[in-house]
Amino acid sequence: MRKKVWTLAFSIIMVVAPFAIYETHADSLRLDVKEHVFENGLKLLMLEKHDVPIACLRINYKAGSVDERPGITGVSHLFEHMMFKGTKIFGTRDYHAEKPLLDKEDELVALIAKERNKDVPDNERLESLRKELEEVREKLRELVVKDEIFALYLRHGGAGLNAATGIDGTYYFCDLPANKLELWAFIESDRMKNLVLREFYSERDVVLEERRLRTENSPFGLLMKHLRAVAFIAHPYRWPTIGWRSDIENITKEETDEYFRKYYAPNNTVIVMVGSFNPDDAIQLVERYFGDIPAQSSPPKVKTVEPEQRGERRVAIEFDSNPYLAISYHVPAIGHPDIYALHVLGSLLSDGRTSRLYRSLIEDRRIAVMAHAFCRISKYPDSFVFVATPRAPHTAEEVELAFYEEIEKLKVNPPSDWELQKIKNQLEAEFIRGLNSASGLANEIGHFEVLSDWRYINTFMDKLARVTAEDIVRVTEKYLTKRNRTVATIVKKEEKKTGEIP
Amino acid sequence: MNINKCGVLLIVFVSYLFSVPNTSTLVAQSVTPGYGHERSSALPPAETPESEGGRIVSRLEFEPLDFVPPKVERVVLENGMIVYILEDHSLPLFDLVARIRTGAVYEPPEKEGLANLAGHVMRSGGTVSMSADTINEELEFIAASVETSIDRESGTAALSVLKKDIDKGLNIFADILMNPAFPEDKIRMRKDEVIEAIRRENDHPSQIARREFRRIIYDASHPYGRKVEGTLETIERITRDDMVAFHKKYFYPNNIILGISGDFDKEEIIKKLTKVFAGWERKEIQFPEVSKIVRQYERSVYYVHRDINQSNIMMGHLGIHRRNPDYFPVMMMNFILGGGSFKSRILSRIRSDEGLAYSASSVFQTAQDIGIFFVSCQTKLESTNRAISIALEELDKMRRMPVDAEELSQAKETFMNQFIFRFITSASIVRQKVDIEYEGLPLNYLETYLDSVKAITREDIQRVAREYLQPDGIKILVVGNKEKFDKPLDNFGKVTLIELK
Repeated sequence: MRKKVWTLAFSIIMVVAPFAIYETHADSLRLDVKEHVFENGLKLLMLEKHDVPIACLRINYKAGSVDERPGITGVSHLFEHMMFKGTKIFGTRDYHAEKPLLDKEDELVALIAKERNKDVPDNERLESLRKELEEVREKLRELVVKDEIFALYLRHGGAGLNAATGIDGTYYFCDLPANKLELWAFIESDRMKNLVLREFYSERDVVLEERRLRTENSPFGLLMKHLRAVAFIAHPYRWPTIGWRSDIENITKEETDEYFRKYYAPNNTVIVMVGSFNPDDAIQLVERYFGDIPAQSSPPKVKTVEPEQRGERRVAIEFDSNPYLAISYHVPAIGHPDIYALHVLGSLLSDGRTSRLYRSLIEDRRIAVMAHAFCRISKYPDSFVFVATPRAPHTAEEVELAFYEEIEKLKVNPPSDWELQKIKNQLEAEFIRGLNSASGLANEIGHFEVLSDWRYINTFMDKLARVTAEDIVRVTEKYLTKRNRTVATIVKKEEKKTGEIP
Repeated sequence: MNINKCGVLLIVFVSYLFSVPNTSTLVAQSVTPGYGHERSSALPPAETPESEGGRIVSRLEFEPLDFVPPKVERVVLENGMIVYILEDHSLPLFDLVARIRTGAVYEPPEKEGLANLAGHVMRSGGTVSMSADTINEELEFIAASVETSIDRESGTAALSVLKKDIDKGLNIFADILMNPAFPEDKIRMRKDEVIEAIRRENDHPSQIARREFRRIIYDASHPYGRKVEGTLETIERITRDDMVAFHKKYFYPNNIILGISGDFDKEEIIKKLTKVFAGWERKEIQFPEVSKIVRQYERSVYYVHRDINQSNIMMGHLGIHRRNPDYFPVMMMNFILGGGSFKSRILSRIRSDEGLAYSASSVFQTAQDIGIFFVSCQTKLESTNRAISIALEELDKMRRMPVDAEELSQAKETFMNQFIFRFITSASIVRQKVDIEYEGLPLNYLETYLDSVKAITREDIQRVAREYLQPDGIKILVVGNKEKFDKPLDNFGKVTLIELK
């Protein structure tokens, strides 16, 4: 499983040197983030770190797959790709010549789809439409300046150039030498103001390839996608971030554009800067480039609440591979007091060689080669997840039962002082190690701001420090119940035996 | 906490593809340029930018960067151990990395997997005086880590600990290097894990492709063609005695390069190192001879059947040495060809132009001897042939025509301006120094990096393209379902079917 993306610590005892990037308050460590909100609602979060002259820049939109609806699932992620396709002044030799051709392309694509969907399509007409479309695309290609935004960043020393989409947000990453801040402000503000959905149809195909790669031909991707689809029956966390295949295939430029206008406004955006810069200068720079982008009305919140689960759900996915197992339990959203104990519970179960799952399933019983547990903290109520790779001849069922035994064991054999202190020491050390990475800090601050508020990082520390063995037992009893769980397994497609019920 | 990040847009790190240890994979993101970091060092763009935005950007002025990378000291201890040292008092941390000259290339073919197994159990099995449980508990309680591994051409050991626990960490680290216990039960446990991993390789099309491709490129009997993890047959043949002997052969202070960084005093740390390694004598090591790779190119096509809806394509041939004098031009040529992500020709055509694949890239992977050059991509079955053809066309074009001045300028500026990212943590700086010495590169490699990049010309690029890209002698491997391919694979040559076990 993926390593923890962020880590936090608590009260700090042995740190002596005063660090520029955080303040110490009485007995706890805090990130010293400066905040500025512009008139149009755009939020800028800044953390100075002057050891190396770089700046880690993040533009995060509070728009993720949770904001989508059936029919356009995957649009946030598709949009993540489209943001690299340029604007009216980037990525094109002449936007005025390009615009009518883009319109014509859309029109032809729509006509082809309409004809193809007829009961008896007119093949001759289809053929001529396709030819016409190819001619238009030929002309468009001549006007495009390929991947220009990416190229500009690269040649100016951009590193870690990437973007990611999650259930709650979309994240754009860019690390630059510190003298290139203006380049970034110019490009990014233009992306917000003047985005052009060019090369839309070929990029949709790229996303379909990504889908084949990540979920359709990957047993683990397939497993996690099904786990969520079954664990959530009402809430939008049920669809995969990449979207359902049929939605991606049919999503239109119009729908994408409409989604953009609703969710990608300054008032729904947070900019994070960590690195070597002067905060006052940074505020001025952002004001100069982003200040004139108008605010939009606040995007709607998700109203659907996942109903309480009223019994175990199971799904067995047939796929040509060895078995894999995943189990999910519903837990509350960020901000709920139980989240802290659930987070510590995840560490207790599976962080390191002295964790309970490692000792029991991997080392002693040797029924699995990988066994992890973690609490997913999200904007809306999410899940506590177990995943495992069984070791043959041991089966997914055996590992599943072993998980339940570990859960039961927690109730009679609560975490010892040693176990709890170990976890707290680790969180503290990881916090300090995290301070080394400007890039990691930028991700963390931005991520928590998307979920609720970056200040969560600072309070999280203290709250984790107060988690007791009783808290852990209590949340285990409350959430890790049969009624609240969903079990998903990958099983090899088997030939039907005679006499078996089909 | 897990962020449900699904759609990471770019594929930038391709280095996981092969388990050659002391390699550097030539991708743009991981390679960045020398000292002194002024914009003036960048070349002027050869042409006026094509877009309005590009023209505005070209008129922006940037202050020069003021940055002098910290100086790393190199010390040789009395026992022969080479130590790179960088004090950094900004955080109460201590990091140590070691590279040990050893590797799977030195194991006998019938014991394939021995080095890797030994490298793992050194840590997981505990030491003669400390059980694995004790070590795990001690380290995890102080939030420290010690890890060891042995790969194809190198052994690695690392320690990470808070300043206050340096002594405790160093003691355990040294004990593991010098006195591993190799207990039978931990050997059995690791063998079982390796066996399970081998059993599961065929679950993942990309793993099938990587494994088979290496076997195709190198003679199956050569250590470069074998599997570092071993096979189901060889794993069971490896005994505890083999592992003890393997460790005994290579683990000596004069065979180790250390890199240490963090919050400590230099003199004091040298004393501590001398103390924890006291009594560990140097020894002359006889390295078994590894037969030379013979450079040859021969066109061939291979097919693995899997009932999936996407082809996994790998195509390539033998590449270059890490110490090849053409290394820099080759790196630059590959950036333009397929290493520079969106700025590379291969990704631009296969992904941006035609939407055929999510990722497509080319890599020159280097080793102590000749490494591998390969292009890889995944595409729907119906565009398999098309994607291969495009890649071949681009290889051919790179040989036939000089690159544009603008392309070269873009590539050079990228390397030079990204250089600063090599220095973002003390641990990463020290690590590079250790690697440079281990790989036998000039010790002033970083100091001369920018000049090496600057010196490259269009003629150099074309010369190395002609020498090191051989589309007529390329080997093509496809994992997929040929029923739906756009054209039969024998378009590219006689197809050999690889049966999966």
